[in-house]
Amino acid sequence: MLKKKKAAGSSECCCVGMAIESMELKEIQKLQGHTDRVWSIDWNPATGHSGIPLLFASSSGDKTVRVWEQTNLSSNLFTCKAVLDETHTRTVRSCAWSPSGKLLATASFDATTAIWENVGGDFECVSTLEGHENEVKSVSWNASGNLLATCSRDKSVWIWEVQQGNEVECVSVLQGHTQDVKMVKWHPTMDVLFSCSYDNTIKVWADEDESDDWQCVQTLGEPNNGHTSTVWALSFNARGDKMVTCSDDLTVKVWETENIDIQSGGGFAPWRHLCTLTGYHDRTVFSVHWSREGILASGAADDAIRLFVDNNESEVGGPLFKLLLKKEKAHDMDINCVQWSPGEKPLLASASDDGTIKLWELAP
Amino acid sequence: MADIFDSSLNLEETHFKEGYDEGYTHGLISGKEDAIQVGLKVGFEIGEELGFYRGCVDVWNSAIRVDPTRFSPRAQTGIAQMEELLQKYPLMDPENQQVQEIMDSLRIKFKMVCSSLHVKLDYNGYPKSSSEANDMQF
Repeated sequence: MLKKKKAAGSSECCCVGMAIESMELKEIQKLQGHTDRVWSIDWNPATGHSGIPLLFASSSGDKTVRVWEQTNLSSNLFTCKAVLDETHTRTVRSCAWSPSGKLLATASFDATTAIWENVGGDFECVSTLEGHENEVKSVSWNASGNLLATCSRDKSVWIWEVQQGNEVECVSVLQGHTQDVKMVKWHPTMDVLFSCSYDNTIKVWADEDESDDWQCVQTLGEPNNGHTSTVWALSFNARGDKMVTCSDDLTVKVWETENIDIQSGGGFAPWRHLCTLTGYHDRTVFSVHWSREGILASGAADDAIRLFVDNNESEVGGPLFKLLLKKEKAHDMDINCVQWSPGEKPLLASASDDGTIKLWELAP
Repeated sequence: MADIFDSSLNLEETHFKEGYDEGYTHGLISGKEDAIQVGLKVGFEIGEELGFYRGCVDVWNSAIRVDPTRFSPRAQTGIAQMEELLQKYPLMDPENQQVQEIMDSLRIKFKMVCSSLHVKLDYNGYPKSSSEANDMQF
């Protein structure tokens, strides 16, 4: 079977320390405010360090986005700082902060994507991206913050350039998926885009000669040990040489590519299947997120949160990841999104159909 | 001597052949009639859609001639690409393999240009994907 030795990944867990096995996921706060299911959460990457309190946004079926902020640096309690409403006319399915943390993009079932700017504590809608035929499902910023990607039920993926003065223009429309596209995500360091779909595949898109000519450079599907049902989400490890995907087929899959450092000279290194985490989930896995320390969190339709870590005791050919813990009844209904916060001691945020957001701490 | 029962023995076969020939002739006529109707309909639709894009491109090009800086370079590239596709479209050769490919590219470019120009234009005949999938999805 798999003869991959696991040197590269094992270093990622060191920061968490020896006691990780005895850790528990402790609920520190339940945030109420949304009046419908909460779909997504995104932590502002410019917060949680250098003395800046943590901040995140949540988007909901109640057509609003809420911004939550840590009340002060010494506490882990959050309060709602802003409600972004009266812009989207339908469910806000996804939200994403720009790398600088200054702009927030929100994708809605009303077929538009909005860009918001924090002007002295108030969020103003500075741009609206129109082009998709119907529901926009996901939005993602590239590492340098000049490109945005969106995807929709119309089966297309759009790439947009954010110019000076927040002017946004469409760069390319990518067609290749045969069904609803669930999520788009840029690689953490390179301008390579990943999309996953109801057509069970993950597609990789690149602009190899940098001429606005974006093409599908790889499709990860069933013939490549891929998923056999809808792929709901994907996330990268800190180095960007591994990717995790989750699906309606009840599995979580880990993919890897050649050393990212070598790739910087250009050229695309293909991704390949590394392992499948199977037998852990008995309902659809909607969300998966990789912490900087290498802990995989999953949120699923069974209302539970699971954490996985590198399996250090693994023998050659044995499983590469093991279940660290399972938090049953983390929410009263489906968990749509789990996200680790930035900062030294990451918190986990989870969003659910029950209309609440919960914050969790991994502690002894 | 001819068998006097010969003609009655072949009665079934004769009638079958007669009926078949009649049906075949009828089918040929009504099939042609149907094909003409389908051809008229599909041809008209494609002509209408291409004409719609042609009209948009002509208006945009006039606008660019009046003020070359009015539209972004990307929008102008998109308009030029649409023009090229329209010229390339084999109008008189409906069985050409490229037909669908060119129409798909035209539709994508049209959407991109509209988005760049911040205009909401819709070709009424454009097949809406929303009509084919009305089931609830997230």
